[in-house]
Amino acid sequence: MILKHLKEDPNWQNRLEELGFGYHTDGDLPYWIDSYYYSISEDFADQVFDATTELWDMCIKAVDHVISNKKYELFQIPLFIQEHIEKSWEGDSPSIYGRFDFAYDRTNDQLKVLEFNADTPTSLFETGVIQWHWMQHYFGTTKDQFNAVHEQLISSWKTIIPYLKGNTLHFTCMRDTLEDLTNVEYLRDCAMQAGIHTKLIFIDDIGWNGETFVDLEEEVITDIFKLYPWEWMVYESFALHIPNDVAEAHWIEPSWKMILSNKAILAVLWELYPNHPLLLETYFDDPKGMEDYVKKPLLSREGANITLYKNNSIVEATPGDYGQEGYICQALAPIIKEETGYSIIGSWVVGQEACGITFRESDNLITTNKSRFIPHIIE
Amino acid sequence: MVSLVLITSVLASCSKPQEETTDKQKVFMRADSSAPYTEVTQQYQQQQSGGGMGMGSALLWYMAFRPMMGGGMGYTSNGIAHQSNVGNNTSKANAVKTQAARGGFGSSAKQTSASS
Repeated sequence: MILKHLKEDPNWQNRLEELGFGYHTDGDLPYWIDSYYYSISEDFADQVFDATTELWDMCIKAVDHVISNKKYELFQIPLFIQEHIEKSWEGDSPSIYGRFDFAYDRTNDQLKVLEFNADTPTSLFETGVIQWHWMQHYFGTTKDQFNAVHEQLISSWKTIIPYLKGNTLHFTCMRDTLEDLTNVEYLRDCAMQAGIHTKLIFIDDIGWNGETFVDLEEEVITDIFKLYPWEWMVYESFALHIPNDVAEAHWIEPSWKMILSNKAILAVLWELYPNHPLLLETYFDDPKGMEDYVKKPLLSREGANITLYKNNSIVEATPGDYGQEGYICQALAPIIKEETGYSIIGSWVVGQEACGITFRESDNLITTNKSRFIPHIIE
Repeated sequence: MVSLVLITSVLASCSKPQEETTDKQKVFMRADSSAPYTEVTQQYQQQQSGGGMGMGSALLWYMAFRPMMGGGMGYTSNGIAHQSNVGNNTSKANAVKTQAARGGFGSSAKQTSASS
């Protein structure tokens, strides 16, 4: 894995905007990196693929373990939604995607999972579309990429069609957020290409008519993809309607994903698979003797409220609103370091298949919403 | 080949500046405690300029006496329980049922994006 530089395309922002990518910069800070990239080997792509596949399998077994043993308290999951989780798990409610974040130890050639963004992962559009067009712009068809995200999304939506309860698949996200809307519209686009009838509705426009959830035209919502975290939903009183929904709408991602998107799963995985090479030593609340570790709130998002310790002293910390729900302590992983920053690898699972990667680069060890997206090629 | 039909329209709609409409006074009416405000500016203006018996007039009268109308369904109130309102009257139950409550999701966002 080598970081390589290109002669920058002076028109790169317009080029991306013509593709529909409107958040390539955040104020003065670049989010999308156009002028350098990671060159990876085919063997490394295979290594990420294998690690992702193995971890996904381990995660599924861990969810089954949590549900079978009703360990919801560890995850701070409210009582009223627990039966819904069990139903969604036992009923094989459709799931479409997730993204593992890996640290890579160059010295030992070892991937370590940092977390699993199982409920509302984004950067999907950048991975599936923008990264692919970037490669075609600079390299034509001479290079390849570990990237079958787009094809896999369409294929996965096709697979889900027989499981849909109604004729319309709704898509929802918050209003006034371009990143979320772009990701949702990308997913909806793929669903439409799979032959599904879709509708977009903003999350605060969803209605409850006393029996079912409805859209703005009073159409009953039977299946809905949401880019809105379960852990936010279940603390809103409207969620109390979910167990009473006569239509028993499919929520995608399903409610059992609440278990995988919670950082408590990292401690559960370590308990189930101690010393597994893909895992970092992780415990609830207490570092249990570790001196170099990261303290993460169970529900933290985009690097909020993370505290990093070396020799039991804080060396880095981020602000935020999380932490009341409890913490995990995870061993500090070696992170790829380049002259431009620290990088982690995001590995996508779409329709239960590992199908593509992203690199995110940060100035500091903690990856946040200010981290940059770096494209890659296989060569 | 990656082909898309929706995304470029998303970007176009998000970057389009909102039209200024501050030159007119807007009139909103609220149907009940759960429904969003309904803008009736146009009808209101028609009423003012068109003799008073246009759509605006009808709508205002409807809003004023809505609780007692509805094809003999009788009075309904948001202040009492659903069952007390509708009793055994099926058409009344259907009419009440269609007033969906909205705005229940989306209030607890801790960030401007739900991404992770």
